[in-house]
Amino acid sequence: MAGSKLRNRHGVRGSTILEVIISMIIIIVVFGIAMMIFTNVNRLSLSAKKLKAQAILQHTLLQAEQAKDHTDQTITVDDMTIKQEITPFENEPGLSVITLTAFDPNHEQVARLKKVIMNHEE
Amino acid sequence: MLKASALYMVIVITLVIGVICSALIVAAYLYKSQYQAKFRTDQLRNNLSSGITILIHSKDSIYKDGHTFSLFNDDADSVSLKKTDWGAFDVCAASAFIKRDTLYKVFSLANQIDSVKWGALYLIDEDRPVSVSGNTVIRGNVFIPKAGIRTAYVDNQAYTGDQHIVNGKTFDSERKLPPLSAARLEQLKKQLSVSPPLNNLPAGIDSIARSFLEPTLSYSFGKTAKTISHVSLKGNIILYSDTTLVIDSTARLNNVLVFARGIVIKSGFRGNCQLFATDSISVERDCKFSYPSCFGILRFTTGNTVGLPAKLDIGDRADCEALIFSYQKDDKQLPPVISLGKKVRVLGQVYSMGILNLRAGTTIDGSVFTKRFLYQSEFTRYENYLINVSLNSRALSPYYLSSDLTPVAGRPKKILQWLEAN
Repeated sequence: MAGSKLRNRHGVRGSTILEVIISMIIIIVVFGIAMMIFTNVNRLSLSAKKLKAQAILQHTLLQAEQAKDHTDQTITVDDMTIKQEITPFENEPGLSVITLTAFDPNHEQVARLKKVIMNHEE
Repeated sequence: MLKASALYMVIVITLVIGVICSALIVAAYLYKSQYQAKFRTDQLRNNLSSGITILIHSKDSIYKDGHTFSLFNDDADSVSLKKTDWGAFDVCAASAFIKRDTLYKVFSLANQIDSVKWGALYLIDEDRPVSVSGNTVIRGNVFIPKAGIRTAYVDNQAYTGDQHIVNGKTFDSERKLPPLSAARLEQLKKQLSVSPPLNNLPAGIDSIARSFLEPTLSYSFGKTAKTISHVSLKGNIILYSDTTLVIDSTARLNNVLVFARGIVIKSGFRGNCQLFATDSISVERDCKFSYPSCFGILRFTTGNTVGLPAKLDIGDRADCEALIFSYQKDDKQLPPVISLGKKVRVLGQVYSMGILNLRAGTTIDGSVFTKRFLYQSEFTRYENYLINVSLNSRALSPYYLSSDLTPVAGRPKKILQWLEAN
């Protein structure tokens, strides 16, 4: 008989429906928590975009310090827009404050940097 | 018997996922903390650099006692700046801090040379010429009396140098020397007249170093003649004496100031220091002073024409990378004398408000400003004769910076030496 051929002589036991359901629930909860952690880590860690913006600002600052004239201007580096603002430093006519702000293509501020520099006309 | 046991398998899978998630969280935390540290360091560097720029440029006296403020009135941009007079130079301390992170730098400031006023020689016009003899070399611009420069036969020696005598441009000098900076002299006068409470060097200690971020360490020996020996002094330290202070060759001074009535530097001394005396400074033979050192004899008293002139004596074969100067407020007093011994090499500046006594083989790589030269042989004294000496302003480094005490100091100020940093 076909039924007797299928009889398990080694005694393989199946899980009960309750075990399977509990296991599935646990797996779903654990995966859910794992996905939340992964998403949070991804969201909270600093993006490469911000790192790149910081590096670009430092480089732009170096160039601006060596330049002979300091004026307000906007420059584009790769896909970043860098806005340079020059304001006088308090009570020191020979000094200025340079403010560099990096914007991404969506015009959102990514990084900002400020420094006191010497006016070259001095 | 093989068990299905779905719950066991789930626990194992959960553990694996848990370990992976923990690793992810730890990695993210480390990455973020490291990045934040780098970001803070970059910001501190920018703030520190801003502070240094302010100190170099500013003439505001607010920084004399130290001033802590917010650079841009934002978060995380606090700096603390301090500029103090340190002998002939300024010493500045800048520190930037965010919470508990601090970056600091300490440096000394000096001025660039004003090329218009700069020359190898400035001799005031007393209606008589300057004479050269032997193998005298003059390279660089000179400011000499209208009577000019001529060759002379002295001590059985004819002039054997370059036929043009002066390898550079010649300008007419005035009847007075360009003055030293009144503000710097006033500050030196204050320090020479100060008499701090007696405080001897601690016994049994062979090395004392003091940071410029801390208050100055002063040692005052009063009217007791003191010999400084077998000790190393470095940094923010001032030695005061109301009598003669002897500094032995076994002592090591680094950036230290000395104010005394008389100072004797023993033969073979090596170091970097600024010496200021009212009566005399005697540097014995074979001493070596590294840049930027300074020797000054200063007389602020007026009226008394009796007594010995102030004297600054540099011994034979001494090597001085220094500013050497004499100052006397009252012209009626005996003029101060600066004597440079045989084969002395000065890399820097000599400014004499009196007599400058040069011996054979003296080399001054830099500039000489004087009222009068004196050459003394065994039998005769010659005034305004340059015999077997070398004055070469071109031998000085183009990056040489001068104290703002001297009349050749120009703008802007620049960093002379980095003293401390973290």
